Amino acid sequence: MAEVEETLKRIQAHRGVVATMVVNAEGIPIRTTLDNSTTVQYAGLLHQLTMKARSTVRDIDPQNELTFLRIRSKKHEIMVAPESKSILAPNRCKKISFFFPKN
Amino acid sequence: ILSGIYANKAASSRSLSTTSDGKAVDRASLVFDDEGKDVTPHPLFRSDPNTVVPRQGKLLASSAYFGATGSGFLSSFSTHQTSGVNGSLGSTYGSSSTSLSNASTTESILDEIQKRPCLLTSYNFSDVQVRQEEIREWTKEDLDRRVDIYLTETETIWILDMPSVVVSVESEDAGRVLERNRIYVDICKNRPGNDRYVEKMMQTINGAAKNKEVQCDKIIMEDKGLLVTSWDLYDSFNVSEIEPTSKAEGSRATTGKSSTTSSLMISESAVLARIHEEEECHSEAILTSENFQQNLFFMERILMENIFQPKLAAYRQFPVLIVKEAKQEEHDKEKKDKEEQKDAFVDPSILSDLNKTPEEIVPPRLERLWSYICDLTNGHNVSSMAWSKVNPDLLAVGYGAFDCKEQKKGLACCWSLKNPMWPERIFRCEHGVTALDFSMASPNLLAVGMYDGSVTIYNVRSCNDAALLDSSESSNKHTGPIWQMRWVEQDRGATGDGKKERLICISADGRITEWFIQKRLDCIDLMKIKRTESDKRKLPGEKERKREALISQQAAGMCFDFHPKDTNFYLAGTEEGHIHKCSCSCNEQFLETYRGHKGPVYKVAWNPFSSDMFLSCSADWSIILWHQDSQTPILTFSSATAFVHDVMWSPKSAYIFAAVNESRVEIWDLSASILNPVTSCFANPRVKFTSVLFAKNTDCLLVGDSKGEVSVFELQNLAAPNNNKVRFTRTRWWSSEACMLVWYFIPPKGASVKDLANRY
Repeated sequence: MAEVEETLKRIQAHRGVVATMVVNAEGIPIRTTLDNSTTVQYAGLLHQLTMKARSTVRDIDPQNELTFLRIRSKKHEIMVAPESKSILAPNRCKKISFFFPKN
Repeated sequence: ILSGIYANKAASSRSLSTTSDGKAVDRASLVFDDEGKDVTPHPLFRSDPNTVVPRQGKLLASSAYFGATGSGFLSSFSTHQTSGVNGSLGSTYGSSSTSLSNASTTESILDEIQKRPCLLTSYNFSDVQVRQEEIREWTKEDLDRRVDIYLTETETIWILDMPSVVVSVESEDAGRVLERNRIYVDICKNRPGNDRYVEKMMQTINGAAKNKEVQCDKIIMEDKGLLVTSWDLYDSFNVSEIEPTSKAEGSRATTGKSSTTSSLMISESAVLARIHEEEECHSEAILTSENFQQNLFFMERILMENIFQPKLAAYRQFPVLIVKEAKQEEHDKEKKDKEEQKDAFVDPSILSDLNKTPEEIVPPRLERLWSYICDLTNGHNVSSMAWSKVNPDLLAVGYGAFDCKEQKKGLACCWSLKNPMWPERIFRCEHGVTALDFSMASPNLLAVGMYDGSVTIYNVRSCNDAALLDSSESSNKHTGPIWQMRWVEQDRGATGDGKKERLICISADGRITEWFIQKRLDCIDLMKIKRTESDKRKLPGEKERKREALISQQAAGMCFDFHPKDTNFYLAGTEEGHIHKCSCSCNEQFLETYRGHKGPVYKVAWNPFSSDMFLSCSADWSIILWHQDSQTPILTFSSATAFVHDVMWSPKSAYIFAAVNESRVEIWDLSASILNPVTSCFANPRVKFTSVLFAKNTDCLLVGDSKGEVSVFELQNLAAPNNNKVRFTRTRWWSSEACMLVWYFIPPKGASVKDLANRY
């Protein structure tokens, strides 16, 4: 647990990282560094997109799985690490972090 | 429940006559609704059972061959289980007001069929009753039971048989038919006005019609859409035991509903409360789950990749895309030219470069890519670095001070190329780490030697800080700092064991030990370094000069290196400045002693390509190149007035080596110049460089300094390494008292030997 906290802190402390969010499987944010309304907005939108992406990947080959999603835009880059389905952790969670590219 | 059949609809289009063939609603065919109330519909007509029977018999007699179909119809009825009372099966079955006696041939046979099933069912009542009883006693297992159904072919059922009324002219009956036709034509002709034919009309009485309405519970309709995807199918087939909750929550329906969370919801408020609770405990579960940790790990690495991508690409020797405009490129080129011109006056090595490779005018340089540094290691002195033997991107760095004054807790970290900002493994040690090495046979073992002389072995697979093995229990351990340790693969030809790996350490208490990895770490002495007097020829280790009061009989060992080809020999450098050549098979005596340094020898290194030469660096500000057959130095390199802490041959070229003294790191290329390094890089003012390491798979150099930073430099434009087969031959050499030693070697590209000799 402590290691998780440390890693989270390190990631958040990077210059260039705007925000970090941890979202559970339903799209409800558990932990965030942004304000509430923005968090909810991003969580909802990205949750849907991730679901769609995962559905796409698995449609093409059901044995495949989505491991990472990156969206690069003019101003930011959004990186989403979706948690894969596992029997041990029936509640899936996703981690989203915003990254503002250095240059 | 079959009673639904018997609800009769008077509006049936097939009702023909008044007499009814009522279906006696027997007690058995009852309709019960959900609460068990008897809501059997009353039939509209109650027929006289007496009248029914003969007709049934008659019907059955005439339609014996329809008996086979009775069961068929029955089964079809049984499927039509109507809930509720509106059990009308449509006009096809529901006719009660038919009369058999009025069945005329002009009626279509279909009518008969429609009537017939109704009658048949009433006949087969007893059967039906039985069957119903049976049905009611069936249990769930029975329903799940496998039932064998045998399909057989019945006799041909004629549903419609309309014989043709057309007869061929040539058939046998033709004559008769023609005769009949003729008679009929005559009759038709005689008909109008004929008394024999009278038209008469008659009106039938219509039976009393009764309307009956039935109302049932509202059928609630719900629309449900589901997008079936191929992975959905795959999952359903493959997943066997998942709890129902997770299944429900995992609905992948692309409906906009978000209410498919936990499936135990009953009411809205309950939902909210539940979500909150579950969220709390689930968020804990999420944060501590393994998957989350892994995701974080990946995320961090990807962030690193984002930040360091160009540098990593340069490390891997990918051509780096320059997204600058063409103008800027020209600028850069001009600058380079100017620099090179300046250097040309100062550095003869550039000229030699020009001579050799006229097309290349770019001098070699060191370019700093990045540093392995983090808060944790800030302020510690880098004492040693080692690559992992299997993963060329994994680096182990030991942090510990060289002086006894600055001792603090030491650190050994494993850094990965993929994350230059935080080490993958951190091992905290009690004392400063002075030496470390990865094992070859078990690549997950990292041996660490410390300032107090203890040896610890860590398993880098685990993140745990605890050591795998410790030498603290060993009675024979070192009493001085371990300055170098190495895992050496050695042939044990005598014992027939084949290649084995041994852990060898040299320490300041003058012993070279070999450690055994068993349940406890223990060691034996390979060699004790006895003090030798420098100038006088003396047998090593026997006599002690009475005049000098020596603290110990043994000289501190600082470094060692095993011969690359024959692992029985090794060199050991001492604090006195002597280098001894020793053999594993002889514990008492040195094979040879090389005297040349005036200060402690910090490092010895055999040339990996030409195995007779070795380098040594020392605190007397010099680096010396030796040949193993000569007891006096061949070449001395001194370029700065600072301790030379570390020296290492390049793994790619026999002429290139890197040396680090306190203020700068130098790259020497012997084929270019033996007076000056071809390139060097200065350290930051308050920082001293302490160790150097070449990267095996790429042209990069790692330099560790006293502030805990390990910088990665890229070597650019060094001479092409095509000299694996170089031989150093000796034609003339002078003793070390002369200022310059000339050493001839066969240059790779055929430049004349005399030129070089003349130059120097």
